[in-house]
Amino acid sequence: MLAATPHNTLLYAVIATVCLPLLAFIYQAVKGRSAQTGIPSITAIIGSLLLASYIAVQVWNQPPIHFQYSWFTLGENTFYIGILLNNLTALMLVLVPLIAVPVHIYSTAYMQGDAGIHRYWMYLSLFCFAMLGLLVVDNLLLMYIFWELVGFASYLLIGFWYTRESAVQANKKAFLINRIGDLGFLIGIAIIFSEFGTLDLHALFSENGLLSQMDNLSSTWLTAAGIAFFIGAMAKSAQFPLHVWLPDAMEGPTAVSSLIHAATMVAAGVFLLARIFPLFNEHALLVISIVGTLTACTAACFALAQYDIKKILAYSTISQLGYMMVGVGIGAYDTAIFHLLTHAFFKCLLFLAAGAVIHEMQHLKQHVQGDFDPQDLRNMGGLKRWMPKTAILMGLASLALAGFPLTSGFLSKDALIISTFEWASERGLVYQLIPALLILVSILTAFYSARLIFKAFFGEPRLPYFHGVEKHPVHEPGASMLWPMVFLGICCLFPLFSLNPFSSSHSWILSGLAVPHSFAAIHALHLLIPSMLVTGTVLSITLAWKWYAQDKYPLNAQSALMLAAEKQFYINEFNQRIWVNGILGIAKGAYWLDRHIVDGLVQLFAGCVQYISKVSSWVDTHIVDGLVNGLAALTYWLGNIFRQAQNGKIQSYFLAAFFTLFMGLLYLIFS
Amino acid sequence: MLSLLIFLPLLATALILALPTSYRNSYKYIALVFTGIQFVLAGYAYMQFDASFTGINQEAQYQFVEHLPWIRLDLGTIGKLEIDYFVGIDGVSLPLLVLSAFVMLMAIGSSWNITKSLKGYYALLMVLNMAVMGIFCALDFFLFYLFYEVMLLPLYFLIGIWGGERREYAALKFFIYTLLGSVFMLLIIVGLYFSVTNPVTGAHTFNMLLMMDPANYASDGFFSQFAGHEVWGIPTRMIGFIVLFFAFAIKIPIVPLHTWLPDAHVEAPTPVSIILAGILLKVGGYGIIRTCYSIFPDAGLAAGWWLALIGVISILYGALNALAQRDLKRMIAYSSVSHMGFVLLGISSMTAEGVAGGVFQMISHGFLSAALFFLVGVIYDRVHDRDIYHYRGLAQLMPKYTGYVAITFFASLGLPGFSAFIGEAFVIIGTFNAESVGTGIPRWMAIMGSIGILLSAAYLLWTLQRMFFGETRLYGGEAWSAKLVDLTAREQLILFPSLALALILGICPFLVFDNLNASVINLVAMVRQYI
Repeated sequence: MLAATPHNTLLYAVIATVCLPLLAFIYQAVKGRSAQTGIPSITAIIGSLLLASYIAVQVWNQPPIHFQYSWFTLGENTFYIGILLNNLTALMLVLVPLIAVPVHIYSTAYMQGDAGIHRYWMYLSLFCFAMLGLLVVDNLLLMYIFWELVGFASYLLIGFWYTRESAVQANKKAFLINRIGDLGFLIGIAIIFSEFGTLDLHALFSENGLLSQMDNLSSTWLTAAGIAFFIGAMAKSAQFPLHVWLPDAMEGPTAVSSLIHAATMVAAGVFLLARIFPLFNEHALLVISIVGTLTACTAACFALAQYDIKKILAYSTISQLGYMMVGVGIGAYDTAIFHLLTHAFFKCLLFLAAGAVIHEMQHLKQHVQGDFDPQDLRNMGGLKRWMPKTAILMGLASLALAGFPLTSGFLSKDALIISTFEWASERGLVYQLIPALLILVSILTAFYSARLIFKAFFGEPRLPYFHGVEKHPVHEPGASMLWPMVFLGICCLFPLFSLNPFSSSHSWILSGLAVPHSFAAIHALHLLIPSMLVTGTVLSITLAWKWYAQDKYPLNAQSALMLAAEKQFYINEFNQRIWVNGILGIAKGAYWLDRHIVDGLVQLFAGCVQYISKVSSWVDTHIVDGLVNGLAALTYWLGNIFRQAQNGKIQSYFLAAFFTLFMGLLYLIFS
Repeated sequence: MLSLLIFLPLLATALILALPTSYRNSYKYIALVFTGIQFVLAGYAYMQFDASFTGINQEAQYQFVEHLPWIRLDLGTIGKLEIDYFVGIDGVSLPLLVLSAFVMLMAIGSSWNITKSLKGYYALLMVLNMAVMGIFCALDFFLFYLFYEVMLLPLYFLIGIWGGERREYAALKFFIYTLLGSVFMLLIIVGLYFSVTNPVTGAHTFNMLLMMDPANYASDGFFSQFAGHEVWGIPTRMIGFIVLFFAFAIKIPIVPLHTWLPDAHVEAPTPVSIILAGILLKVGGYGIIRTCYSIFPDAGLAAGWWLALIGVISILYGALNALAQRDLKRMIAYSSVSHMGFVLLGISSMTAEGVAGGVFQMISHGFLSAALFFLVGVIYDRVHDRDIYHYRGLAQLMPKYTGYVAITFFASLGLPGFSAFIGEAFVIIGTFNAESVGTGIPRWMAIMGSIGILLSAAYLLWTLQRMFFGETRLYGGEAWSAKLVDLTAREQLILFPSLALALILGICPFLVFDNLNASVINLVAMVRQYI
């Protein structure tokens, strides 16, 4: 199976890329508390980045490269361990360490002094290993394995501060919701295996793979398989209604939120769908589009009403993941991946900047011994005076999120929305609802991003501590936090993705992925949609400026609608009441059944046997043995009677003899 | 070689009984050394095993065979009695044999602190050891039955004397439950004996492998496939299958025949719990493969739908019950019911993936449940309390212990990379595939079974959250925190290998599958010819 030498080098490079973080993980696990610097983890991820870049250069625009080794054989089927490299893998393989390196460096300062920092590095390396593994493997079984491992690493990191009740509730929730998705993934695997007898991605989904040879793509089980895999992606990529774990996952350290719960892991669902794209038929794709749109809308609404700075970003992530899902659903997964890439940079930056703000607020809280929530926007305001660089970087990232021209977000979001319009215009009026809603969401996105920035950095400080105290500790973050942010900030600009800042169609990513679209391009839209979006964005930012920066807020923040949006329309309460309490109720019922009915029957049976044995014992003593005893008593009694005869008196013997003779004579006479 | 493996513990028993009580501290070392030798022997058998042998129904396809005439009686008109000393292993019994030796080592390691009448304890433990080894090797049904019954006796005393508060109740319940199954099993064995003749000697025989060949049945024999006998309108072969299944189903255990298990586990001392969960439950699964399906493949195929249903019910019902427990040990006992349900589901699917997944699940559950019960024993030893709500935030107090518990829990809930994942995933995949190959198991059963994977994550993670995370708060207050010291070196020495094994098998499942595959293919082909 091994090809020529350059391929061999490539294979070793891939193995090293994936396994370097694993080695760091093992090192941290073995050294335990004594390894606090994080240098092994950082070295490993930098090594992975370099190797991944080398691999990407080798693989880009080449035919897919496939390595395969037999793992084990079951029945007639052999399962393989293998690596499948193509343009999609190459892109993601560079992206993950490229985001992870700044996050690692940022963490050295952000997590400094934490008692459990050795665990932090260990978990982070485990995550990188699992994520990189997920990207390169060549079959669905291995993908499932890494898929769950990233979930496990995320569980560990969400619950990193395990003494906090909310953190351990959140990580349990995250794992369980992801488990629901995993079941979908597993069922999908089972369907594929029983229909095709192989789980190999190349054999199934390549240009002349098994799926391209199928005649009837609309069969029920194919739809079922598509939806099963989509359920897996829904949980991992936080699609409505399985998104509920992601806002809670913000309990983890902010650096983790930026890497795992914004840039990389949550995008794995989109990656999965892109990787197995030929599997989806018309019906499955429509479901994906609808769920994606629904997610984008609901999450944007929830984001409007949040006060926690990280929660806003979390909902914004969910909303943007909804966009990507729509991209997959309309068959233009290249635009979805494009948006995934641009989103990874600006969302990561947003989180890191938010982390810097929280870090400083935390310092302030400790400094003044105050009692306030350092993540609450209502406690911020006017921070740009003390943290101008952070403000600029976060503003830049927000503009990218809002899709402002010259940023990367402009390119990818426009590409996605234009494709959606083109897709819908071939289908009919009802379908136009999807791109229309996406535009609305885009405007909302601009609004809540602006709200965040204006509330945090503009206006007057809302806490009294900023006024009275001369030397309070709020200041710019240190170099090891700032430089990673600057790096990500540069990556939020257009040149990285397309040399033409106004047209995504020249982007090297879209041409590299080269996905054939099922719909025709409409050139007029390439001017119309961006101008609409930009106008909407500018208007909503202006409105937000009036409301939040100039404090002319006209609405009632306590209205029922606002509260409902803040509480995600009470979906958590619903889940708790219906699902959690329901299942616990069933469990209690099952245990009652077990104790009283199932075991009760056993006890009843045992009781019956005991009762029968008592009855038979009674029968035995009184009847069976009674007969025996009665017989004995009778014999005794008879014996006693006959004993009377043996009394030794000659008179009675004579009497008996005469009596017998007399009776005999009487008998002879009368017979 | 197998005889040595089986009867070594008897030597240990003799030695322990012969040594005066003043040497009582040496008993555990004797037991340890002898079991260690057994483990080495089992390992040797594993290394020497030729994976191409297909086992199941042909003597020539078994390895390490020892076949000696044992009891030969001429009964005149009834025929000749033929009981053999016949042992051998194939791909199904080999991993279970290695597992048994391993779990026995764990059990002895966890017996280190037992102080009550050591002589009897270790002597009984060694007898038990002999019996389980015998069961996995025996190929003569009479011999099998003998070992099966011998196994019960030491367990009864081990629970009844060294157990907890309600030990007598639990021991009696366990004993009578199992005996009920085995008595019926004896009836079927006798029935089979009179139906089957050895084609070479012409005598009736207890040889299991001869029972698997339809040609060896007398043409009008009670269990003959061709005679078509019926009792109350049910084919006799179906009755034979059901009754044998009933006997082993109690062992697995299936719902609703499982209620002996929580009681026995809760009352049994830690080492006995380890043996119960680690080895004895596997006798059930093994018996179903070795006797039920191999001797009555036609009936097994016909009953497959019901067996799968029972498997699914066991999975879900066991998991739900585990979710409702406050007692940690009882929770793990119910989780055993749930996890063993996968074994039944996999076997009944009669696809190579399902059956192999089921056997793999047995192996995996063997040392994972042993590790789980050991972990419960750790805190029970320290403060004699198992109530989940009496502990909180143990992670700060016992970090190493928490680490081991977390790894074991995640391994048990099927985290990929650990063995349970391979077992459960292939049971689900195999069951799903059953509809395509026509063994009559519908796909919804696979989907229902997979919900058990979700529930197992729920009860294990919930327990982890309740007992180990959050701020430390203990029911027993300061006194408890003084007693709850972290794992000792001995405890880690026992736990580490079992978790390492779970990890190794999770990454290298071929270590089991390679030896297993030929036998499984043979079994599946044998059963599927009746489709």
